[in-house]
Amino acid sequence: MATVSFQQATRVYPNSERPAVDALDLDVADGEFLVLVGPSGCGKSTSLRMLAGLEEVDSGSVLIGDRDVTDSPPKQRDIAMVFQNYALYPHMTVGENMGFALKLAGVKKTEIAGRVAAAAKILDLEAYLERRPKALSGGQRQRVAMGRAIVRQPQVFLMDEPLSNLDAKLRVQTRTQIAALVKRLGTTTVYVTHDQVEAMTMGDRVAVLKDGVLLQCAAPAELYDRPANVFVAGFIGSPAMNLVTGAAVEGGVRLGGTVLPVPRDRLARAAAASGRVTVGFRPESLQLVGPGEGFEVVVDVAEHLGSDAYLYTRLAGADPDDALHPADVVVRTEPRSSVVPGQSLWLGVPPDALHVFDPATSQRVD
Amino acid sequence: MTIASDSRPRAVALQPPPPAAAPPPVRRTTRLTRNRWGYAYVAPFFLVFGAFSLFPFLYTAWVSLHRTSLSNIDGGTFIGLENYRNLLQSEFFWNAARNTLTIGVLATVPQLCMALGLAHLLNYKLRHRTFFRTVMLMPYATSIAAATLVFAQLFGRDYGLINTALEAVGLERIDWEGGTWSSQIAIAVIVTWRWTGYNALIYLAAMQSIPGELYEAAEIDGASRWKQFLHVTIPSLRPTILFTVVISTIGAVQLFGEPLLFSGNGTTSGGTSGQYQTLGLLMYQQGWSNFHIGQAAATAWAMFMIILVIVGVNAVIGRLRARADR
Repeated sequence: MATVSFQQATRVYPNSERPAVDALDLDVADGEFLVLVGPSGCGKSTSLRMLAGLEEVDSGSVLIGDRDVTDSPPKQRDIAMVFQNYALYPHMTVGENMGFALKLAGVKKTEIAGRVAAAAKILDLEAYLERRPKALSGGQRQRVAMGRAIVRQPQVFLMDEPLSNLDAKLRVQTRTQIAALVKRLGTTTVYVTHDQVEAMTMGDRVAVLKDGVLLQCAAPAELYDRPANVFVAGFIGSPAMNLVTGAAVEGGVRLGGTVLPVPRDRLARAAAASGRVTVGFRPESLQLVGPGEGFEVVVDVAEHLGSDAYLYTRLAGADPDDALHPADVVVRTEPRSSVVPGQSLWLGVPPDALHVFDPATSQRVD
Repeated sequence: MTIASDSRPRAVALQPPPPAAAPPPVRRTTRLTRNRWGYAYVAPFFLVFGAFSLFPFLYTAWVSLHRTSLSNIDGGTFIGLENYRNLLQSEFFWNAARNTLTIGVLATVPQLCMALGLAHLLNYKLRHRTFFRTVMLMPYATSIAAATLVFAQLFGRDYGLINTALEAVGLERIDWEGGTWSSQIAIAVIVTWRWTGYNALIYLAAMQSIPGELYEAAEIDGASRWKQFLHVTIPSLRPTILFTVVISTIGAVQLFGEPLLFSGNGTTSGGTSGQYQTLGLLMYQQGWSNFHIGQAAATAWAMFMIILVIVGVNAVIGRLRARADR
């Protein structure tokens, strides 16, 4: 068990001007499950590989526990990693795969067998110990990769998109299993994914990265309720938060033909630089209100999912040429509502569900 | 499709009349066997193969059953397996077989080990990697005659570079060509020099298909470079290694040019006491020096049988390993 700490850690790939990871400052507590999430190319995998020792650190440092491991090879870091493609040794049996690290470390055969058996029991792999990876299904291979990590009893687990090669249903199942398993073992874990649902459901804390920069690191609920900037607001949550930019006018922001009220001091600060304001509201926080209240939208598509329904709408009276600021609004409503495409609706946003951002800096304004 | 269409109605006519409009499906396989153009397209290969491989192969077998001379190959007398019996009782055959074996081992083992090591080095990210790869293949592109003549100079007793070097460090001169071991080692060196790069490139190609994640996983598991080589590279290369062993063994059994030219005068005797006469040289000597073409044919077939046994043993080993892997 140990803490993990990135201190101004930077990685610049050769022949690249922009750092893949730019001055990353991140502390992971002992036993914490931290998820690194972001779109592809955001530097999340590179950060993980820097922690693993598979990637050089150009400046700054990486600490595991109190030990500076910036320049240590992977084997001195006491970490175990689960790879996206599992990277199981094809010529070894499941048991040999899981015990390989212990064998290299010179652990006694009987102890290896015991630890492998214990891990196999946890992961329900006892029947497959003599098989080779080739003869296993994708889900089983994934579990072997997990087993190889937990047999080591390392200080830190590193997981690089370990679920992305599974089908959708198995992914959801395995997601909860991994989270429960890691909780039980109490091992510090750094987990990389591009899937924000995975991030929200598994992580004690979630770090959102974009273009090599850490944008926000917070507990899932905090991330959802108080996104620090426009990117996090749009990235976390499915369907995404509605983000609309409009001119600041007296009392609020102009959306299409109407004005959405925004508290005066937040409006003033957000509009200070550009005279425009970005407002965000989640699909589920929108309320249907009577005509004349709130703002007006026109329904394009209605999606019925059974448990709820989503209306894909656009602002009535929005400037159709303003392509840079799409004025689409997604609304969650009761299932089996009678709304039809083409219908006009009036929507209201409760004041506490309104997020305000400065379009010039993309930062949240409170 | 139009090619096969002429024979299709007849095939349909043989069927009971279809109940509905749907004709009975003509299977694709049957249509392929009726496709005469296909045979025409593959014919050139089989004609050449028949004329230059299959016919000589069978004709050699037939010749090996006759007492016949080079000047009158077709006019020999049939003597059954007499040539084979003579061969097995001949001390020249056993001497040549032994030499072929020892030179083969001396050449193949270091050659494949060095190739593996070289490939491993070239698999790292190096500057001028293409240059090194090209250089490695150069010996393979050199003619045997040219290479052997140069090496014969190097191994020369009186003015050879190697002996000069040995003397310079205070060791005694070696009569490379005269001794049994020394001559065989010298020949093995030539073979190794010529084929190491070729095998290294085959290994390199196989190594590059090993996923990099395996090495990263091994690194995290705590494997040193050497352990990674041992536990990731070698097991992944196993089928390739088996293949190169078979190819090198076949080459070793047929070894001819290097020992022929090593003495510098191109005699087939393989040294004054036949100390480096291989089966290939023996066969040539029997047929083209002693004019016993029937005997030479028997030797050729004996060589073929040896190769067959070696390849068969390798195939069995490969299959057993594959079964154990399952």
